[in-house]
Amino acid sequence: MNGRLRLLIALLAAVLGAALLWVFLPLLATRPESALAKAALAARPLTGVGNPVTAVLLDYRAYDTLLELAVLLAALLGIWSLGPPTPAYQRAGAALRAMIAWVVPLLVLAGGYLLWAGGQVPGGAFQGGALLGAAGVVLRLGGDPHAGLPAEPWQRLLASLGVGAFVIVGLVLLGLGRDFLDYPSAWAKWLILVIESAATLAIGATLAAAYVGGRPPGGTR
Amino acid sequence: MSASLPLAVSLPLLGALATTLAPRRARTLGLIAALASSAVVAWLVVAVWTQGALRVDLGGWSAPLGIGLEAGGANTLLLAMTALVALAISVHAGDYFRDRIQLGHFWPLWLLLWAALNALLLAADLFNIYVGLELLGLAGAALAALGGSRAALSASLRYLLVGLLGSMTYLLGVALIYTAYGQLDLGLLATQLTAGAAEATALALLTLGLAFKAALFPLHFWLPPTHANAPAPVSAALSALVGKVAAWLILLLWLGPFATVTAPAGATLLGLLGACGVVWGSWRALRAERLKLLAAHSTVAQIGYLFIFVPLLQGLAPGSERTTLIGALLLMALTHGFAKAAFFLAAGQVQQHAGHDRISDLGGTAQRLPATTFTLGLAGVALIGLPPSGSFIGKWLLLEAAIAQGQWWWIAPLLAGTLLAAAYVFRVLARAFNLEPTPQRFVNQGRAELPGLVLAVIAVVGLGLAAGGLWGLLEAVEVER
Repeated sequence: MNGRLRLLIALLAAVLGAALLWVFLPLLATRPESALAKAALAARPLTGVGNPVTAVLLDYRAYDTLLELAVLLAALLGIWSLGPPTPAYQRAGAALRAMIAWVVPLLVLAGGYLLWAGGQVPGGAFQGGALLGAAGVVLRLGGDPHAGLPAEPWQRLLASLGVGAFVIVGLVLLGLGRDFLDYPSAWAKWLILVIESAATLAIGATLAAAYVGGRPPGGTR
Repeated sequence: MSASLPLAVSLPLLGALATTLAPRRARTLGLIAALASSAVVAWLVVAVWTQGALRVDLGGWSAPLGIGLEAGGANTLLLAMTALVALAISVHAGDYFRDRIQLGHFWPLWLLLWAALNALLLAADLFNIYVGLELLGLAGAALAALGGSRAALSASLRYLLVGLLGSMTYLLGVALIYTAYGQLDLGLLATQLTAGAAEATALALLTLGLAFKAALFPLHFWLPPTHANAPAPVSAALSALVGKVAAWLILLLWLGPFATVTAPAGATLLGLLGACGVVWGSWRALRAERLKLLAAHSTVAQIGYLFIFVPLLQGLAPGSERTTLIGALLLMALTHGFAKAAFFLAAGQVQQHAGHDRISDLGGTAQRLPATTFTLGLAGVALIGLPPSGSFIGKWLLLEAAIAQGQWWWIAPLLAGTLLAAAYVFRVLARAFNLEPTPQRFVNQGRAELPGLVLAVIAVVGLGLAAGGLWGLLEAVEVER
């Protein structure tokens, strides 16, 4: 790309950005009192969770989250379809190994804590899963070719857990004559915890497997 | 009855999980999931037919807080077309992919794509559409890469990046609307949206984002290489279903919640881009040297026709005239869905048999693959818009409306597109039929050839003769949201 074209693109982007700001700023000034946020806070006791973000992600708009987890699964399946992974890094030196031996258990512990805390305070499946995924990345950087993940059939199970828990809970509730994903108030907290735990494992495994970047060995090929 | 809406999304998802867990049994499990998903859609169509439009609030939370799914007349018809085409592709794919590993990759991604299509067709929430678009784009790009060649990989990477640009543009529009109104439900927005700078900007961003995905001229540049290099069943799904859904979402926004925001100038611009797509796509199809590339360019043209309806529909008050025109639009979309899927499946069959799909070397195809050549011919009839195909009726009604509304200039691209389509279809058929001896058997490979043939027959005969039923459903169910 030559310099003049780059300048033109930068200019166009700047003009577009300015136009968007010009439209957006008056909206911020006149924006209506957020009735939706109030309704979300008011209905929170029915969801069994104290953290409004978790209530939105796993109850009010649980269907969006279900599809987001399907997006993650599609991404991983796409990566797996592209062939074997790149070779692993060489085995780490003693200092890095010692650090990994410390950091990975801490990451797993912190991930579990974030999952549990997500019910009441900021945290939840995506944050916890991200930490688990980070543990996988650290292991792979330290020379583990599988990023700490189990054999292929188990990786497939782990990656499917999030969507699976969501869909099965939704279908069971549908079978009981309720709406799809309409948790009964008494069970809401526990159903959400089950789904979140499954989602945490799925997100962690998916991120780590995506970092490995290819089909796990020992599968059908 | 209303359980069929969430089931239409969750059954393909469940199938995707099953085929992910057991890749060795992917073919059997996938076919079971495909049959179950189609059965649920059939149930949904019957429910809408007998009870009128359906809406469910997922999670038991009603509109501003929760997410709804809606099945009206128009999207139910598109769902039914999606189910039939997807079922045919599922049967065909079992024969197309000879390699078990390839099948193991294909099935879960394909069922995820199907779930995304159903989710988008039923969606009634601006942000939910964004999530559906992400799933559609990712699964589509991964499927397109299954071709495995360098060209397929680079084309699908471009498809992925263009899709991301489209989703991000769409998301900017959603953010503007959410800031201004604090709502995302399409039904609620329809009652509240007023014309203004923010709303117009939002509509422009939403439309631009979706136009990338729908391959509206001039944003179609990524489509021909992607569709031409993907495996044939994937090309069929991308051409017949994926682009169609994005185009449908644009029409849904323009005719539904944003109707008060739209202006004749914007609608004319969309119509003009559609007309350019018709002429340019048809011209490139005529010049194409490979069968699948021809089909891909022709998709750009066929998507273009749908946008010529926008300037005629914009500002039209609800009534019989509008219902007729929406019916014509749907008839065009459905016919193209069936016909293009049939065309791609047949093209894939030709390519697998002959080892290439160069149009100049198609000689003798009619002798070797009579059923497949017949499929190409029938699909061609529907692409041109010859009677009794559904697109003939669709084009006729479009012509009538253009004259009645005094917007006669839309006739020019319509005629040019039809003429060029006739030229590119006959160019293929003339090559395929150029040898004398009578073929021995009509069908050589039932599982691979018959799904496409059935789709082509539906496009030409089924939709043409049963078009009355389509308006029956549209009039029974309020088209307006």
